[in-house]
Amino acid sequence: MEGMGFLGIGLGIGLIIIGAGLGIGKLAAAALEASGRQPEASGKLQTMMIIAAALIEGAALFGLVILNGLNG
Amino acid sequence: MSKSELEHLTDESHVGQSDDHTEGHQSENIVQQIISDLGDHRDFTVFNKKLFELPVILVDDGLKIYSGVSDMEASGEYLYHHHKIVKAENGEPLELHHETDADGHHYATPALDLSITNFVAFQMISAIIMIFLFSRARAAYKKRPTKAPRGLQNLMEVFILFVRDEIVRPNIPVRKLANSLTPYFITIFFFIYIMNMIGLLPGGHTPTGSLSITLGLAMTAFIVIIFYQIKQEGLGGFISHLFAGAPFPVNILMLVIEGAGLLIKPAVLAIRLFANMSAGHVVLFSFIGLILAGGAAGTPFSIMALFVYVLELLVAFIQAYIFTMLTAIFLGIGLHDENELAH
Repeated sequence: MEGMGFLGIGLGIGLIIIGAGLGIGKLAAAALEASGRQPEASGKLQTMMIIAAALIEGAALFGLVILNGLNG
Repeated sequence: MSKSELEHLTDESHVGQSDDHTEGHQSENIVQQIISDLGDHRDFTVFNKKLFELPVILVDDGLKIYSGVSDMEASGEYLYHHHKIVKAENGEPLELHHETDADGHHYATPALDLSITNFVAFQMISAIIMIFLFSRARAAYKKRPTKAPRGLQNLMEVFILFVRDEIVRPNIPVRKLANSLTPYFITIFFFIYIMNMIGLLPGGHTPTGSLSITLGLAMTAFIVIIFYQIKQEGLGGFISHLFAGAPFPVNILMLVIEGAGLLIKPAVLAIRLFANMSAGHVVLFSFIGLILAGGAAGTPFSIMALFVYVLELLVAFIQAYIFTMLTAIFLGIGLHDENELAH
């Protein structure tokens, strides 16, 4: 594979991981803050946090799947 | 995920044996080895050792069944050429001279390949496990109809009530439809969960790590969503949902968008499940490779590898839960609540 191809794949993976990390980070911050305000709701908050994290991670993994195809 | 995986990765003679790779770069061979190990095989492999060959079933001017790849090659009709089955003539692959492929050859392949491969065999294993679990729970209910559940029956009841009360009932407002659809959701949840977990046992392969199998599961979700929506609302109600209640000229745009959404939502379900499963296994294999390549300096990686392995257990359950829940949500969106006043 050409050199620019490698560069493109590396940049792609980096950008995808930045997006996923930022999204899940904001989500975790909101969940922790709400859990701090109202500790008895922490069970429900945990469930919703995990679901949202899995959906955001799913979006990041779509991009990675397409990168896998680009790799030939 | 086992000892012989490690042997497989460090066994240099095995690495050099693939006939597809003309370059001799070791790192590239290891990457190809990982990807092909995670893929499909035509023989039943456990712990990466071939146990026996699986039947090859082809539909090509009639149904042809062979008991294995070597049986197929011995019959002279087909050859196993570069990981593909091609028609053979007098011991040589039959070439079509119409188009050229990437390597300059275009071979004639059979019309339909229905053979039982490794992934299909593991799917059947997980189906057998499900039948066993559910029939034991049912027998326990029959034997003790009025007493509290114990043992396996208790465990199954936890999961079944979880699916029914957290996934099906909140999302499908019509109670009669929810009751008749609960078996489908329980089946999908257990099937995906057991398939994901089988890949984590030593020697197992994950069927959901293949896009074809997850697309099949998403197709069942697609059919269920459309069929039950039409059955509940009628064909007219279904079409009016596609128009989404906007005034005339925007209607056409909404039809296009909603129609695309109808196809894309199950496809996205399939890709999410496939990507989560295969990505997790690739990360785990990479850590194992790092442990082996690092030698003594690779010891911290074993802790990371253990952490990723436990995370895979959690991801197996979460992905099964999300697939089922999203199917229930997509179905519930298209239905009207039976307690709603007017619409």
